[in-house]
Amino acid sequence: MSGAQQHNIGRSVVRPDVRDKVTGATRFGGDLCGPEVLSASVVRAAHAHAKVIRVDFSKAKAIDGVIAVLGRDDIKGTNRHGLIKRDHPVFCDERVRYRGDAIAVVIATTPEAAKLGRDAVEVEYEALPVIATMADAQADGAERIHEFGNVLATQLIRKGDAAKALGESDVVVTRTFAMGGVDHAFLDLEAGYAEMDGDVVTIHASGQWVHEERRLIALALGLPVERVRIVQPPTGGAFGGREDISIQIYLGLAALTLGKPVRMQYTREESMVARHKRHPMEIEYTLGATRDGTLTAAKVIIRSDEGAYASTGPAVLRKAVSHCTGPYRVPHVEADGVALFTNNCPTGAMRGFGACQLAIAYEGAVLAVARELGMDVVELKKKNLVRDGDSITTGQVIPVASAIDCLDAALDRFHWNARRKDHPAPHLRRGYGVSTICFGLGYGDGYPDASRARVRFAEDNVLEVYSGGVDVGQGLHSLLAQIAGEEFGIDASRVRVIASDTALTPESGSSSATRQTLFSGNAVKLAAGEVHRQVMDAAAVMLGLHWEDLAIKGDRIVGIHHENVATPLAFVLSGARARGFTLDSTAVYKPRTVAPTDQSGRSPRAFLTYMFGSHAAEVIVDIETGEVRVERIVAAHDVGKAINPREVEGQIEGGVAQGLGMALMEEVVTRQGRILNASFTDYIIPTILDVPRIEAVIVERADLEGPHGARGVGEPPLIGAVPAILAAISDAIGHPVEQTPATAERVWKIIHQDNAEHLT
Amino acid sequence: MFYRPESIDEALALKSRLGAHGTFLAGGTDLVVGIRKEKTRVEHFIDLTRIAGLDGVYRDRDRLRIGALCTHAALEREAITALADACETVGGPQIRNLGTIGGQLGTASPAGDVSVALIALDADCEIASVRGTRTIALADLFVGPGRTVLSPDEMLLSVSIAADRKSAFYKIGKRDAVAISLVMAAASVAPDGAVSIGLGCVAPVPLRARLAEAHVREHGLSDDAIERAAELAMSEASPISDHRGSAEYRRAMCATLVRRLLRGLR
Ligand SMILES: Cc1cc2nc3c(=O)[nH]c(=O)nc-3n(C[C@H](O)[C@H](O)[C@H](O)COP(=O)(O)OP(=O)(O)OC[C@H]3O[C@@H](n4cnc5c(N)ncnc54)[C@H](O)[C@@H]3O)c2cc1C
Repeated sequence: MSGAQQHNIGRSVVRPDVRDKVTGATRFGGDLCGPEVLSASVVRAAHAHAKVIRVDFSKAKAIDGVIAVLGRDDIKGTNRHGLIKRDHPVFCDERVRYRGDAIAVVIATTPEAAKLGRDAVEVEYEALPVIATMADAQADGAERIHEFGNVLATQLIRKGDAAKALGESDVVVTRTFAMGGVDHAFLDLEAGYAEMDGDVVTIHASGQWVHEERRLIALALGLPVERVRIVQPPTGGAFGGREDISIQIYLGLAALTLGKPVRMQYTREESMVARHKRHPMEIEYTLGATRDGTLTAAKVIIRSDEGAYASTGPAVLRKAVSHCTGPYRVPHVEADGVALFTNNCPTGAMRGFGACQLAIAYEGAVLAVARELGMDVVELKKKNLVRDGDSITTGQVIPVASAIDCLDAALDRFHWNARRKDHPAPHLRRGYGVSTICFGLGYGDGYPDASRARVRFAEDNVLEVYSGGVDVGQGLHSLLAQIAGEEFGIDASRVRVIASDTALTPESGSSSATRQTLFSGNAVKLAAGEVHRQVMDAAAVMLGLHWEDLAIKGDRIVGIHHENVATPLAFVLSGARARGFTLDSTAVYKPRTVAPTDQSGRSPRAFLTYMFGSHAAEVIVDIETGEVRVERIVAAHDVGKAINPREVEGQIEGGVAQGLGMALMEEVVTRQGRILNASFTDYIIPTILDVPRIEAVIVERADLEGPHGARGVGEPPLIGAVPAILAAISDAIGHPVEQTPATAERVWKIIHQDNAEHLT
Repeated sequence: MFYRPESIDEALALKSRLGAHGTFLAGGTDLVVGIRKEKTRVEHFIDLTRIAGLDGVYRDRDRLRIGALCTHAALEREAITALADACETVGGPQIRNLGTIGGQLGTASPAGDVSVALIALDADCEIASVRGTRTIALADLFVGPGRTVLSPDEMLLSVSIAADRKSAFYKIGKRDAVAISLVMAAASVAPDGAVSIGLGCVAPVPLRARLAEAHVREHGLSDDAIERAAELAMSEASPISDHRGSAEYRRAMCATLVRRLLRGLR
């Protein structure tokens, strides 16, 4: 390294993967191939709910090019997957529970033959009543989707006496919120490649947690984990949509059974029909306050549509309940959530993970209280937002509660007090909204959440990081290189990262829950710190000084008090190796969180740390058509420390765009268990023309746990965007907007219905 | 088979011989999607893109004649507002560079943005076969979703629209680009006061709102007359509900858009 010491932390280093992605050179899962590779295609259920009476593969097997048709009789293990309950059949037994359920997989010499084979598999069904809605699931005598009934889970919070406190409040508002299902809509479709390497089946496919996937796949296939290897190819987005198993077990089973390489790729339609979605929720929110605007109590009832299988549903419900009052101090809280099975597409993890739906509800309720009190919502927020040392609804004390810092930062950048109030045209109304949200990072609630990392100097003296953590597009690997390099003053671009391969890397937990910066970042920092000590130990031996009197400067080791002592780092590394010193360390970062009690749902440490954010939005609403145009969004997030500021901005911009989609246009429309818009023609996500100027404001109040004070940033930017946009629409039209997406038609109906009320 | 005629005559001869077994291919933006979705089966392609002169735009006194192979992109900057604005809302740049007027009309979609704008510009279309050519009003071309009055041996050669009118177009979609319309409308006012109104996504075909047109023709563009015309347009529409939106909203938007467009054209 030449010139002044370059620091990695806080520097917008360019990720090594971006050039290939922009130029199209990256080989994603769908680009993987090999000689004489076979193709696979999945037979899906023709009903949302039915008994399977008879399955006949004979016609399919007779098709030219079809090599095999594999079903439940061909799978040796549990034939199940699922992150929490293991209730999702790889191949259905006697029942199908949603239209994405799989009956069999057809393996053929070409994709075309596989498809013909798929269509030739005969399945005889006996239709069962379709549980299409949460009301259907709860109806008396409703058909049971699973043996134990239609309730997957319940969750609660009991804090103080909410009923009494609401009775004594000066104002009480009750509002009902509804959020539609949302698709992850990542561009890189489920696609992959599997082959045998001796008796090990190697699966190249994108997930979010290679080690857990290996475990689930091995269980389903009836193999010891050593016989399964997962290698993650470059991944084009995940957003929670790759947490559940998709193609991996089909690929593994086919390669294992036939001993030949196999590849497969879903179509967009298949991806949308099969993959889990964001939970549709219905939330009834009652919020009380005193006349001076102090929040007194909240009563929250949450119903969550689980679809056909559990996926991460219980955890999503818990996150919803634990975030039910967001960043506000509410002394009395009573919250009840129930997750219900239906014959819809399963619902599971998606960016925001339950906290997203609740942010829409608590922000909507706070807005309603402000309106009821005739009080400015910013003033109301500031009166009730948690401050350093306050506790939130779970009972956890928040040492760095930066909600107000974020709110001020967002309003300041927005020039909130100078906002224009004019109408651009007689039929157009301008509106402004602001949100403040919080988000607990990591799995929390006592789950043994951990990341491991290995750092070493390789034989060629290159600093190496080994991490099981997957980079789904968020830039994890580059971030880990920055953190490892920082310990030695080595530029991130010179650090080699070996990642997301179960054969080579330690288990680092999932890329989800906004946890990798915090967890893997810390694990890498610990391991790199130990290797640093190993290097200094060796250098001290070689230079005859105490290690505390040595430091790394540029690519040299120098004496702090002895200016004449200076030796190249590479020389020390080689010397250390020659002397048999270890330059290699694996570290575990495994902090403790505490499970909530059954009676209260509260916990002194539900999450390791919390992140706060605030968005300000400006919209223009066409009051005659209901069309909404977002003009501007400012998003301020306290990331603790931006290890790579440009990447943080990228996450904020992407989160806002995705939140805009959820707020205005994205909705999985389902009738009788069938998705009516399972394609990119009909499932509408924003394009660049719909996304306004996004101004990311990075707030940096150091975290007490995170590496270099960093927290993370993945999920909160989406969570904050939705309520800010809804509040802005509400400001423009003068009526609450409490359903997502707020399509033109819905906004028009809100305006129109209310006008009708005025007329009568 | 894949045929690539180089002249109109050659194309017509092929179509005459192949009849319903031959399918014209222009930009392919509808056809290829249909084939991939297995909704359309094609035995023989007749690729029109090698025929010279079919993509031109010709001014003919107060009319503008647009060749069937003219792309949406080529019309985006035309001085006729409704036409240019409709073309500009079609898909994204790639689709507009490929998609043609002939293909748009051949598809006969009630959601065809440009079809609606053309209807509102009092369009005629020129239809040819080995038997000769004929000209019909564009509004009479469409029979139902995906269906036209074209005989199995016929081909669209061009459309001709009024070029001396003030016009406007408005589309409500679910996003700003690459979006199938939820409802849209176009209108134009001729120097002699004649008004044409087209509505999209509110009937099995791109609709010409004749009752509304007749009303403003007779009563002018006063607030009251426009209000009545908007109501009439709404009564002429017969929208359906689907996952994009309800019939109720679409019907209401007919009135809203007709009102807005006509006011803007005064
Ligand atoms: C992603 C995407 C977005 C789109 N967005 C929009 C949109 O916003 N608005 C909109 O209106 N449309 C949209 N479309 C539809 C399409 O682009 C237009 O309808 C286009 O004008 C079709 O023209 P083409 O040349 O591609 O037709 P083709 O696909 O080549 O042909 C369409 C049909 O017309 C017939 N045909 C073609 N030329 C002739 C002729 N001269 N005589 C007789 N029959 C003929 C063909 O046989 C075929 O049946 C979109 C399409 C896609 C794929």
